[in-house]
Amino acid sequence: MKVMTRKGWSPYIAGALAGVLLVMSVFLTGKYFGASTTFVRTAGMIEQVVLPEHAAGQEYYKKEKIRIEWQWMFVAGIFFGALAAAVFTNDFRSTPVPPMWEARFGPSRAKRWVAAFLGGIVLMFGARMADG
Amino acid sequence: MNELYSGLITGVIFGFLLQKGQVLRYDKQVGAMRLLDMTIMKFMLSAILVAMIGLYALHANGLIKFSIKETILGANVIGGLLFGIGWAVVGYCPGTAVGALAEGRWDALFGLAGMLLGAALFAEAYPLVKATILTWGNYGKITIPTALGVNPWPVIAVLAALFLGLFGFFEKKGL
Repeated sequence: MKVMTRKGWSPYIAGALAGVLLVMSVFLTGKYFGASTTFVRTAGMIEQVVLPEHAAGQEYYKKEKIRIEWQWMFVAGIFFGALAAAVFTNDFRSTPVPPMWEARFGPSRAKRWVAAFLGGIVLMFGARMADG
Repeated sequence: MNELYSGLITGVIFGFLLQKGQVLRYDKQVGAMRLLDMTIMKFMLSAILVAMIGLYALHANGLIKFSIKETILGANVIGGLLFGIGWAVVGYCPGTAVGALAEGRWDALFGLAGMLLGAALFAEAYPLVKATILTWGNYGKITIPTALGVNPWPVIAVLAALFLGLFGFFEKKGL
């Protein structure tokens, strides 16, 4: 199984296999891939704990149904699959700041982390507006 | 099979492929936006190429149902622009942020926290967005073939030729 531990497959091969996985998923279980609805559901779960009355009144949480379902487990699975691949390949590296970012904006972790946080807010607001 | 198990297993395989494809990286994602490194385009277009052929073939035989979202110009254009601005800054899309964290990229954790807050803020804004942006230019559940009023296979053939041409271009230019 040398191929399983080889660092970096061709992105064409890995992508084509992801396509096969999607076709199999739809054929066997009727499920298409997605991730962003899971962020709504997780945000809703957190809000149900910290602001339960406010969360209960949110129309959007009623629409998207706050619960752990197929996609939530799919997104959790991405974490474990990527971790397994990184560990098998000895590819796990603690990387607090991406090299391309560091080359342009310097090594400050705080700067990078604040930017990632703010970028994440805008990204997800846009993703949910566009519905996907 | 219980949908929670099938979701987990599918996600594990997908996460494995994302890591092997080396797409869980800020440098690859922002590299694509800067037209320096087309790794993520190769991954995505290969996945789309295989999946569009496979899914349309299954659909033609009545074996699957499509899950088509509404095309709403206001929501797709404004939401897409916001997504793009945010993606260029955070450097990971939602699914790859989860995988990037699993590879040891700690900045993805802050990206994920921001994404959760962004989702909560969208829930706050939803009644207003629903009454305005989500009503601007709703074309319903269309696809490229249905919008053009043509059989899907010529569209698939054109897209496949386009993707393969792009792959050739990427390889020629060493992207």
